[in-house]
Amino acid sequence: MLRDITLGQYYQTDSVIHRLDPRVKLVTTFFYIISLFIVDNWIGYLAAGLFLLAVIKLSKVPFKFMVRGMKSIVFLLLIAVVFNLFLTPGEPLVTIWKLRITKEGIRLAGFMAVRLVFLIMGSSVMTLTTTPNNLTDALEKLLKPLKFFKVPVHEIAMMMSIALRFIPILLEETDKIMKAQIARGADFESGNLIKKAKSLVPLLVPLFISAFRRANDLAMAMEARCYRGGEQRTKMKPLIYRKRDFLAYGTVVCYFAAAILAGKILW
Amino acid sequence: MGIIKTKDLVFEYIRRDEEGNVEGITKAVDEVSLNVEEGDFVAILGHNGSGKSTLAKHINAILYPTEGTVWVDGMDTTDENKLWEIRQEAGMVFQNPDNQIIGQVVEEDVGFGPENLGVPTKEIWERVEESLKAVGMYEFRKYSPNKLSGGQKQRVSIAGVIAMHPKCIILDEPTAMLDPSGRREVIRAVRALNDVERITMILITHYMEEIIYANKVFVMDKGRVAMEGTPREIFSQVEKLKELRLDVPQVTLLAHELKKSGLNIPDGILTTQELVKALGL
Amino acid sequence: MSIILDHVSHIYEAGTAMEFAALKDINLTIPEGQFIGLIGHTGSGKSTLVQHLNGLLAPTGGNIYYNGADIHDSDFNRKELRSKVGLVFQYPEHQLFEIDVFTDVCFGPKNLGLDKKDVELRAYAALKQVGLEDEYFYQSPFDLSGGQKRRVAIAGVLAMKPEVLILDEPTAGLDPKGRDEILDQVAKLREETGMTVILVSHSMDDVAKYVDRIIVMNRGQVMFDQEPKEVFGHYKELEEIGLAAPQVTYIMQELREKGLMVDTGATTIEEAKNSILSALRRQR
Repeated sequence: MLRDITLGQYYQTDSVIHRLDPRVKLVTTFFYIISLFIVDNWIGYLAAGLFLLAVIKLSKVPFKFMVRGMKSIVFLLLIAVVFNLFLTPGEPLVTIWKLRITKEGIRLAGFMAVRLVFLIMGSSVMTLTTTPNNLTDALEKLLKPLKFFKVPVHEIAMMMSIALRFIPILLEETDKIMKAQIARGADFESGNLIKKAKSLVPLLVPLFISAFRRANDLAMAMEARCYRGGEQRTKMKPLIYRKRDFLAYGTVVCYFAAAILAGKILW
Repeated sequence: MGIIKTKDLVFEYIRRDEEGNVEGITKAVDEVSLNVEEGDFVAILGHNGSGKSTLAKHINAILYPTEGTVWVDGMDTTDENKLWEIRQEAGMVFQNPDNQIIGQVVEEDVGFGPENLGVPTKEIWERVEESLKAVGMYEFRKYSPNKLSGGQKQRVSIAGVIAMHPKCIILDEPTAMLDPSGRREVIRAVRALNDVERITMILITHYMEEIIYANKVFVMDKGRVAMEGTPREIFSQVEKLKELRLDVPQVTLLAHELKKSGLNIPDGILTTQELVKALGL
Repeated sequence: MSIILDHVSHIYEAGTAMEFAALKDINLTIPEGQFIGLIGHTGSGKSTLVQHLNGLLAPTGGNIYYNGADIHDSDFNRKELRSKVGLVFQYPEHQLFEIDVFTDVCFGPKNLGLDKKDVELRAYAALKQVGLEDEYFYQSPFDLSGGQKRRVAIAGVLAMKPEVLILDEPTAGLDPKGRDEILDQVAKLREETGMTVILVSHSMDDVAKYVDRIIVMNRGQVMFDQEPKEVFGHYKELEEIGLAAPQVTYIMQELREKGLMVDTGATTIEEAKNSILSALRRQR
């Protein structure tokens, strides 16, 4: 059943956001995150919130999927809030024992919480509306200039997409080997750290052997199908900007300007 | 000269011990000469370790002969300038269905070969569509390969090879890891492609029921061709096959046993119908 | 020793969109010493079922009893159960990891907490049981042939001295001779030790010759649970679910239809031959 795990949690549906060129989504996410860190007032965050809400609405992805991503960072969020709340110097409001809550602390803690929530939601929108494959394609295209500096961009993208294909297979394999060793009396749970680390040997050795065997097979299969690197290769699904993509870029620029300037002017 | 031809093909590899010292030399393929004509359906049989897979890898120029020569459509496989042409003309399907699918979506995997060949985008889509239809997997084109059964995965792999427009496909134990229904699916696809598209098929297997459709069978043992002939000629020699760690279909075996008990039945019965006829019913 | 499955069901990912019932209300009794074939196509639930027998998976409904004790009671020793019910997974050679064959086979008994001498005695006996020659004992398991690796892996489970041995597709990927050798070895082992053996397979041809009972699984349910002859009699229903009776069954059915009064219950070549010969004699 482990095979059903979809990495990046792609949510299959048809929406404007889904149809956008993945490069647009990658660039937008990047600038959105930057904007979150530049903005330092509530009007700016209001703009960021509205923009995010609009995008979520357009993506047709149920809101609960966005929230699901939050669960994993609740702890991080709490720490960030608590630290900011108590450790920011400034005008004290409440004092409990040695802990002081300051006005500035509340402000910073609030900003930090909003920032993190928006950040996670914003990147969730991207991964929920873009297949991992599209993402690697977009990365390959966007990083192409790095080729000039001898960075093997095509190879890195190919590696990423192969990794994405094999992670579920290797997870399932891990599960199977683990069960097989448990059936032979292995114990992966009890004991101290050293004992636990040692108990992983019967799992890791077969797993590595299998991974190497698969890598070897795959390399052979790729060669047999005439794979010879990125040169003179054509694309089945080339990335082509359409009208809506330029529109999206325009919208993003407007948002970016609005979020930063709005606060500066109105605050 | 046929589409695939080998002459005195020898492949040796050097065995080394843990320190890397040479322990000895193993001849995985030993003086094999065979000729496959265009449109043939050839089966290569042999037990595990008989050298049949090593032989297969020579046809796709993954391995090169130590001695002797392999020609694919007249091209010597050691000619580096022809390497990609050879691999395009003689496609290969491997045993493990998981380890040869590169794409995360069925259609993207089938498009992988044509992409490598530099086929224009529009034509890639045409090729992907026709190839998936040829193996009956078109309706699964948007699926993740992880959601398919073993037999379906192998059919996708075959489609991936067909999309490169090969003249010949070498299938290296494509059914060894499948269940009976998966095996049937794959063999049906292979036969159809041979019949309809006239693609030359070289099927490597140790399942006897898969080779009765072949028009030529080679049985390998210890790197050599031990037997050669039509399926009927091969299956007439039940005892010899057993010596080579192989089997015959149950109906052939039954006919053979009946013959040994004194009934007048010809050698090499391949189907139930033939047995019924031989018993005069 | 007996295993009882009482209304056992197993649902994966319950409550999500991917909910999938792998087992639905399974009731089975596995008495001591039986040789059972568990047949079903991929996804029929047979692998899920066997993982319940040694407690690797817990049922989402129903109970499993080993010698009358519920194996999911809090005070039940499941670790001991895993040594009593030995499970050999598909392609078991993929779990080998030690530097030599002998050490690998020692892994199981060592986990049982036995002293070194007992561990080694058991490993030695297990390797003998699967018919591996002494010369291979101190080789790396990765240098052996496919068939030999599989024997070593089976020995790794036998060294736990199980009362029940479950083999999931033990012949997958082996050539015909290798297949016969493994199955013959298992049959011999059962004769010598009297242990219960469950052979999981999708091939009727493989199990027909050996087992005294066949359980056919389909879509998470037990479809047939009878003696081989009776199960093969349902060859038309078997075909509908993607399985097939042994080829001999089809031959005998065909001959019968053509008017030769043979025994359609014959499942092996030997039985078929004798039946045909005597039918022909009667006809004349």
